[in-house]
Amino acid sequence: MNEEKYIVPTATFQERPEDYELKILVPGVGKAEAELHIEGRTLTLKTHAKYQNPAGFKQVASEFERANYAMSVDLPEMADTAALSAKLENGVLTVTVKKRVEKQAKKIEIA
Amino acid sequence: MNTLMNINPWSILNDLLDANSRAFRNMRARAAGRFPPVNVYLDDDAIIVDVELPGKTAKDVELSLEPQAVSIADRPAETTDAETGKAAETQPAWSRRLELPFRVDADKVNAKFANGILRIELPRAEKTGVRRIAIEG
Repeated sequence: MNEEKYIVPTATFQERPEDYELKILVPGVGKAEAELHIEGRTLTLKTHAKYQNPAGFKQVASEFERANYAMSVDLPEMADTAALSAKLENGVLTVTVKKRVEKQAKKIEIA
Repeated sequence: MNTLMNINPWSILNDLLDANSRAFRNMRARAAGRFPPVNVYLDDDAIIVDVELPGKTAKDVELSLEPQAVSIADRPAETTDAETGKAAETQPAWSRRLELPFRVDADKVNAKFANGILRIELPRAEKTGVRRIAIEG
């Protein structure tokens, strides 16, 4: 695997009543090989899997790329970045972010 | 009718498209998500097929083997017919058959999922039938 090269993974973002769910497809990447960072509202993913073609084999078909993934996404303002959880299973990284609970009703000034 | 009239001006373009049709078809099918992409590795004694299936596990995929081909298909969820209560007949959403360059030893085929990539290892079958005999003298 070319360590310098990153590809942007396929991802879906879904809003649910109480949270947001971000699903990122990172086939070939294990839990220990993915890094997730949050800075402000920007969530960044970078993977560092070390894939090598089977030794002594010649590649005769190449329909998908074995590269590392990198992407960043700005979470909505309603997202509570402190209540963020992530799990990586079978090459799919699922990030769940709770929505901020607005306890106080907003007062609107009438001009 | 003049024979020249039978020449389709588009035939050249068609031929061009035909030459690449397989590539186009594969790309289109992939774009539509109709079947998963594969990487294939080959050496003298074995073939390794990697299938990209993020989110899938062994129970979601069906693998079948012919002497010189391997088929991969998704395993549709078991559903029961509402009226009869019997298991409904379901078609796999996709299937792919890969022809292999040599016969494989079905007993030694090994398939394993790792992080959403299915790796199928297909060792070449021992050559049978033909035996070279050294000529003495």
